[in-house]
Amino acid sequence: MSQQVLWEVVKGNNAFLVKRNGLTLSTDPFNNTGVQTYSSTGFISKNAVGVAPTSGKVNQINNINLVAKKSTKFQQADRKAKNTQSVYASTLAVKHGVHTASRVIRKRFGTSRLGLQKAALRKLVKLNRANSVRRRNEIAAAKAQKK
Amino acid sequence: MTSVPLVSVFSADDSTKVTAKHIPLPAVFQTPIRPDIVSFVHTNIAKNRRQAHAVNPQAGMQHSAESWGTGRAVARIPRVSGSGTHRSGQAAFGNQCRKGRMSLPIKVWRRWHRRVNIKQKRHAAATAVAATGIVPLVLARGHRISQVPQIPLVVEDKIESYEKTTDALNFLKRFGAFEDVQKVVSTKVVRAGISKQRGKKYRVRKGPLVVYFNENAKLLKAFRNVPGVEVVNVTRLNLLQLAPGGQLGRFVIWTQSAFAHLDKLFGTYRYASVLKDGYQLLRPLLTNPDLARIINSNQVQEKVQPAKTTKVLHEVQKKNPLKNTKAMDRLNPYAKKQRAAATAAIKANTKGTKKIKKNKALKKASRAAFNKVSAALNDATKAAVQEEQDIKVKYFSVQKGAAQAE
Repeated sequence: MSQQVLWEVVKGNNAFLVKRNGLTLSTDPFNNTGVQTYSSTGFISKNAVGVAPTSGKVNQINNINLVAKKSTKFQQADRKAKNTQSVYASTLAVKHGVHTASRVIRKRFGTSRLGLQKAALRKLVKLNRANSVRRRNEIAAAKAQKK
Repeated sequence: MTSVPLVSVFSADDSTKVTAKHIPLPAVFQTPIRPDIVSFVHTNIAKNRRQAHAVNPQAGMQHSAESWGTGRAVARIPRVSGSGTHRSGQAAFGNQCRKGRMSLPIKVWRRWHRRVNIKQKRHAAATAVAATGIVPLVLARGHRISQVPQIPLVVEDKIESYEKTTDALNFLKRFGAFEDVQKVVSTKVVRAGISKQRGKKYRVRKGPLVVYFNENAKLLKAFRNVPGVEVVNVTRLNLLQLAPGGQLGRFVIWTQSAFAHLDKLFGTYRYASVLKDGYQLLRPLLTNPDLARIINSNQVQEKVQPAKTTKVLHEVQKKNPLKNTKAMDRLNPYAKKQRAAATAAIKANTKGTKKIKKNKALKKASRAAFNKVSAALNDATKAAVQEEQDIKVKYFSVQKGAAQAE
């Protein structure tokens, strides 16, 4: 379904829309900027990658999931993603570090949609940083407890 | 669309098993999405369930109130006749008055219901059905479908014979629809407002809609008690259920026979509908609404002129070329050379010219004179200061001596 047509239906009202303090925001899992705009609303587009935090144990390197929108271009990749499959998305846990995850993002977008690519990468880096800080604190706390 | 999209029918017992692999999608699902039609039809049809109500026609009018007229230093509103009570002499009848009748009291013969053209109603229903097959729209409506194997979800007819609610629940769990039911349960909220006291205590969300075909199906009773789930026969599809609140994209679970019946109900693009007399599906204005694809297609790009770069006509802020060398160079490229030549000439001439020498000599002389005068001034001030100090010393020592003497 064309992104333009879907946008006309969805822009006025949708389950992810949050209007607060004069801002129009979105909780869409495929939206990496948080603001509801035509290009950043991933769930209506054919190709999108959402970067989402997960609540995981300390030992997990990252606590990030890549939620990739299923598209006909990436059918094989989507099938291979053994983690949670759904009608519209395949989830990939980021296990091997930010670099490999960023490759996934870059491959999904290719040379197009640099803005969206950058937004996804930016979010990936920020989540990674936040997670490493959290991990450091938890490890320090665990050590302190042992003593 | 030259290729017809295909849909699988799932086994009722096992969500991974597919009983019929490739069934063509009924043509309804390819109707253009028209939220404007749906919104219009919905706002009108939603009024049809209203029950007439009215205000008591005598309310506020059961007085023999009369205006006192002018000359009594009171407003001219009708006042309650009689005496012996607080109420006498108080204003009555007006909408602005306390205990008065409301303005334009509601009558039972208010036009409660709206009729909508049949064609519009049918187009709206068709669009609503089409929207149930589009994943982003179902997501946008807020249904939790992340575990559902396929949208549109078509299941074999076995579920029509479910009698027990447990069977129904297990079925929903198997197909990932239970998440939507859980959403309904967890967001059940006591309604704000007076309706609480009028039998509408809770506000409950809508969950999945189960559509069946066979009239003797027992699944109504099985699914009845599951919160949020509604059950409806294909022949009686209701826009108020397909697009609740006028919002497209209800999560629908079809039985196989219901799904197959849709082509007879709504017709296809080749044949008009069998059951809706003379109804033909709406045709789209654009067969290919993907603007991005059209613009980037070879056919368009071949004919299109190369993209113009934005011409900068002038700077936003004007720089004075007489003061700003770069601005000057931009206007007159020879200026740079001129400047270089001038400085070279000056350098070459500084040593030789008489005039320059004369000026230098004059400068030297005047500087010397100035230094002389200032030196003299300095000495004079120094002398004066010294004199001042001597006098002070003398004066104070005299004073001291005088004090000591006394």
